[in-house]
Amino acid sequence: MNKSILLIGSLAATAGLAALLVPPPLPERWSGSEAALIASLSLSALPPAPADPGNAVADDGIAAELGHRLFFDPRLSSNGAVSCASCHRPELDFSDGLPIAVGVGVGQRHTPGLIGLSHSPWFYWDGRRDSQWAQALAPLETHFEQGAGRGAIVRLLAEDDEYRRLYSALFGDLPEHLPDPGQIPRQASPLGDEAAKAHWRQLDPGLRLAVNTAFANAGKALAAYQRKLRPGRARFDDYADAVGAAGPNAAARQGELLSRDEIAGLKLFIGEAQCVNCHNGPLFTNHDFHNTGILAPPGRMPSMGRFDGVREARENPFNCLGEFSDADAGQCAELRFAKDDKELAGAHKTPGLRNATRTAPYMHTGRMESLAEVLRHYNEAPVAMLGHNEAKPLGLSRRELRELEAFLRSLEAPPAIARQWLEPP
Amino acid sequence: MLRHFPIALVLWAAPLSAGAADEPDFSLVTAGGNLLQIHSELSPLAINRMHGWRLRLTTAGNIPLTGASIRVAGGMPDHDHGLPTEPEVTGESEPGVYRLEGLRFHMPGRWLLTFDIAIDGVADNASLEFEL
Repeated sequence: MNKSILLIGSLAATAGLAALLVPPPLPERWSGSEAALIASLSLSALPPAPADPGNAVADDGIAAELGHRLFFDPRLSSNGAVSCASCHRPELDFSDGLPIAVGVGVGQRHTPGLIGLSHSPWFYWDGRRDSQWAQALAPLETHFEQGAGRGAIVRLLAEDDEYRRLYSALFGDLPEHLPDPGQIPRQASPLGDEAAKAHWRQLDPGLRLAVNTAFANAGKALAAYQRKLRPGRARFDDYADAVGAAGPNAAARQGELLSRDEIAGLKLFIGEAQCVNCHNGPLFTNHDFHNTGILAPPGRMPSMGRFDGVREARENPFNCLGEFSDADAGQCAELRFAKDDKELAGAHKTPGLRNATRTAPYMHTGRMESLAEVLRHYNEAPVAMLGHNEAKPLGLSRRELRELEAFLRSLEAPPAIARQWLEPP
Repeated sequence: MLRHFPIALVLWAAPLSAGAADEPDFSLVTAGGNLLQIHSELSPLAINRMHGWRLRLTTAGNIPLTGASIRVAGGMPDHDHGLPTEPEVTGESEPGVYRLEGLRFHMPGRWLLTFDIAIDGVADNASLEFEL
């Protein structure tokens, strides 16, 4: 009797050990729907970035050149030392490697990368801007980011010879609208401290409109530059194309383009782990907002996320429906039909996963140091501090989590960006 | 033989008149026995793309129902969340044909939409379930 128990016990232990050490067999073939889903994730399925009807110069070469100069120019900050590129560092896929952004001061959230972002209809972790050009304006004036008043930005456009030349080629003669830029206090901004606001209020309404117009145009040029930041093909894309071409019953191995663990991770990614629910499409994001139970930093209230973000986007004077937008109201469907519901409390934007392996740390709080930590979080799906966690516990083994991480590594690739755009002009 | 000709003509005409442009993507019978035909601007439906639908509301006898108010709600029951947008009927382009704007589905899986309809103060409803 005792021997039987021992035997059963040792068999169970051996089976348990085998499950840990011996990898489960790979799928021999992908089903038709799996093959189609895998093909839909390939970069080959990525269309050109959608038009931005609010930005008439979104795809203009001169606008990209102007935006490129502005992006790398630290004069666009209150201390003359912080440019867009200080936090969106080209060598780090336009992220910064820090948990929380540090500009003129310490920020509130983790810096997202910019590659492929022009495909998104919403910007910021909480979606508080509805276009890339409106987004580009916000850090310029936010006191802990670049902290420059819009007065200073417009003065620079008017007083720097190269900026004035490029600006005039795009939008018409700046001096015509601002005959005496010197009369605009650099600090002037409706969003700054009391002194900045006082300077802003003292400006003639016509001059305020001219400043706002030129300021909006600077954002449009910055967006035109950022539309050049495209992702490059990764090993996964060759695999996905091969699977897609083979169609239903595609062999899972496909000429060893991916390793055993990477293929097993892909199987989990599109199946049991449910990652593809939100990380879908060629950029591995649905560009939408979800509450996945990310904890707030110690001592801080959790962010309301999209619940607040959508309201701010609606009120922003530089939104798609605003007077500085080049769009007709009919082209602003995202803003007009944006959801505004308590369900959005604590929801943050789904980040893309291409090169996620190179852009640690993670999440809007920047508190997860590794992808392994992120995967453990989703495996456990803790109760949300605010609202409810849409994700459910997955119950994946440690081996399966490692396979998912291996799969994410197959998405690494140098970006498809001409060298000139990766360096200061 | 001649007497059968008009019937044959109808059989041929049916698929022609119901070509790609007019073939509804979904046909529903409402709780009140009316017909709700849905034509999507984006066909086949796909995730992550903002688009609109044309809703054709008629009686069972194909008489257009004009002046209706239609409200759309829905979500993914398996994920316990609603629609990612707030779609809205923005007008009636021809008798009984309503334009629904602001649809975008952001996840693959099972979606459930409900249509709350009021025609001359009489409530009606329909629901639509589909997989993306």
